[in-house]
Amino acid sequence: MAGSPPKPWERPGAEGASGPAPFKPPSGGSTSDVVEASGMAKPGENVTAAERSAAANASTTVSRPMPQRPWQQTGGYGNTYGGAGYGSNMYSSYGGFGNTYGSGGMYGNSMYSSYGGGYGGGMYGGGMYGGGMYGGMGGYGGYGMGGMGGYGGMGMGGPYGNQDPNSMGPPASPPGFWVSFLRVMHGVVNFFGRISFLVEQNTQASYFFMTAMLQLFDRSGMLYGELARFVLRLLGVKRKPKKGSLQGPEAPAIQGPSHQFPEAPKAGSWDNVWGN
Amino acid sequence: MPAFKAPAPGFAVRFSPFHENRLLAATSQHFGLVGNGHLIVLDLAAAGPGAAPAPVFSFPTSDALFDCAWSESHESLCAAASGDGSVRLFDAALPPAQNPVRLLREHAREVHGLDWNPVRRDAFLSASWDDTLKLWSPDRPASVRTFRGHEYCVYAAAWSARHPDVFASASGDRTARVWDVRDPAPTLILPAHDHEVLSLDWDKYDPSILATASVDKSIRVWDVRAPRAPVAQLAGHGYAVKRVRFSPHRQGMLMSCSYDMTVCMWDYRAEDALLARYNHHTEFVAGIDMSVLVDGLLASTGWDEMVYIWPFGTDPRAM
Repeated sequence: MAGSPPKPWERPGAEGASGPAPFKPPSGGSTSDVVEASGMAKPGENVTAAERSAAANASTTVSRPMPQRPWQQTGGYGNTYGGAGYGSNMYSSYGGFGNTYGSGGMYGNSMYSSYGGGYGGGMYGGGMYGGGMYGGMGGYGGYGMGGMGGYGGMGMGGPYGNQDPNSMGPPASPPGFWVSFLRVMHGVVNFFGRISFLVEQNTQASYFFMTAMLQLFDRSGMLYGELARFVLRLLGVKRKPKKGSLQGPEAPAIQGPSHQFPEAPKAGSWDNVWGN
Repeated sequence: MPAFKAPAPGFAVRFSPFHENRLLAATSQHFGLVGNGHLIVLDLAAAGPGAAPAPVFSFPTSDALFDCAWSESHESLCAAASGDGSVRLFDAALPPAQNPVRLLREHAREVHGLDWNPVRRDAFLSASWDDTLKLWSPDRPASVRTFRGHEYCVYAAAWSARHPDVFASASGDRTARVWDVRDPAPTLILPAHDHEVLSLDWDKYDPSILATASVDKSIRVWDVRAPRAPVAQLAGHGYAVKRVRFSPHRQGMLMSCSYDMTVCMWDYRAEDALLARYNHHTEFVAGIDMSVLVDGLLASTGWDEMVYIWPFGTDPRAM
């Protein structure tokens, strides 16, 4: 074959001084012929994904094993959810197997507690936390436990708190008809429960808002009056006498004989009005 | 010396073994993640000395290109390694309508490395992320042989410059392996680094010397007769070393490029191994080459979409 011009390292005498390489002497002929003569030729071999993993499992020649890749880790199922306590648990609770719940950690969420509270007997806020409450019941029995949560005993780290559904091995078998039906009903009832609760909360909040506004106006008016009175008194302003006081001892002075109304006032005479 | 603005981030660059002014570059849109690739043949002399090189051949491909190689047997033939697992052969002398002249589709995953046999000049290797290497001959429609054994992506393959049947491969399973095309299994498994080995090359003057470049930021030079410990360890790159290549002209001289955006020249036998450091690229440097025909002529390309060609000892940015 014609080939490219000779390489610089192919000039005679260019070989390094470190001695011969430990390889078998080269064979003659083209590369394809050499491979075929050695019996190693396998034309057009396709590599499939299955072969890949099989080959990777079978060969044990490497002295140092390859590090495990993140996506090759086994048992990673559900691990990231444990104890995460994010608010959306509320929505995934029905229809699921409780797998997504961690062990505790979603407490303090008013939405969540209200959801439970709607069924558990009207307790809002504290006591409803603890993911085990829901996870332990497999999702659909949740409101029964909600009632217990109301006593505050089931919460943090209680008997259900550590029950992580993920640690039970494979997922449960698919539920039967009644179970799934009840689960659906649970979801529907839950839904309306949440809606009505939210409506109620909103009404209450706007009522409180209005009341607070009115009270604010009322009290701020009183505060203003009180402050104004105080400041004016500091400035020495006296309140105008009321109508009845016109008949007081100073009143006759206006109409006294020293003042003659028909006379026009002289220049500067106004200065003396407040003089004494 | 001239610089060329490529249409997309560059991944590989190769000097032609036939024409000292010809250069092959493989580029990929969007850093090779998604999009098209471009195979470009540049001619340094077409636009006059000192001017920017002109592309005499540009061929878009449907998937990203990670590597390219000139044929050693035919002056206008070149191969490109594609992200869809295919290897395409192009003839730069033919119009684009007749290209690619061959589409070799056997690898299951991305092909990341190519090397043409420089001794017998009639075959080339492809290294793929499906953990295998394949040996091809341009006169055959299918691969001649598949080399299995690596346990993770194979990133590069390099033929020995002096032995027509021997080559080496670098893999993400942290080993480099030396193969003989006549043997069923690798003749040497070299646990070369503590991290993935990304590239390797043979010393052109000493048939037993091999250099490997790794994610652990180092380049190690090995003697295949004494694989227990490296002959030399070249530290100086700040991030993973993407490619390493031995000089075709000077024994012991290496060129390397890295994700620290620099290109380095080394002499592994010298006391002070680092000869030069070029930081002309503003992004990851992905491809380097040293001209076989012109002593000291270097080329590099990177994700800043630039292709630089410069003589050793000068500043690549100086026109």
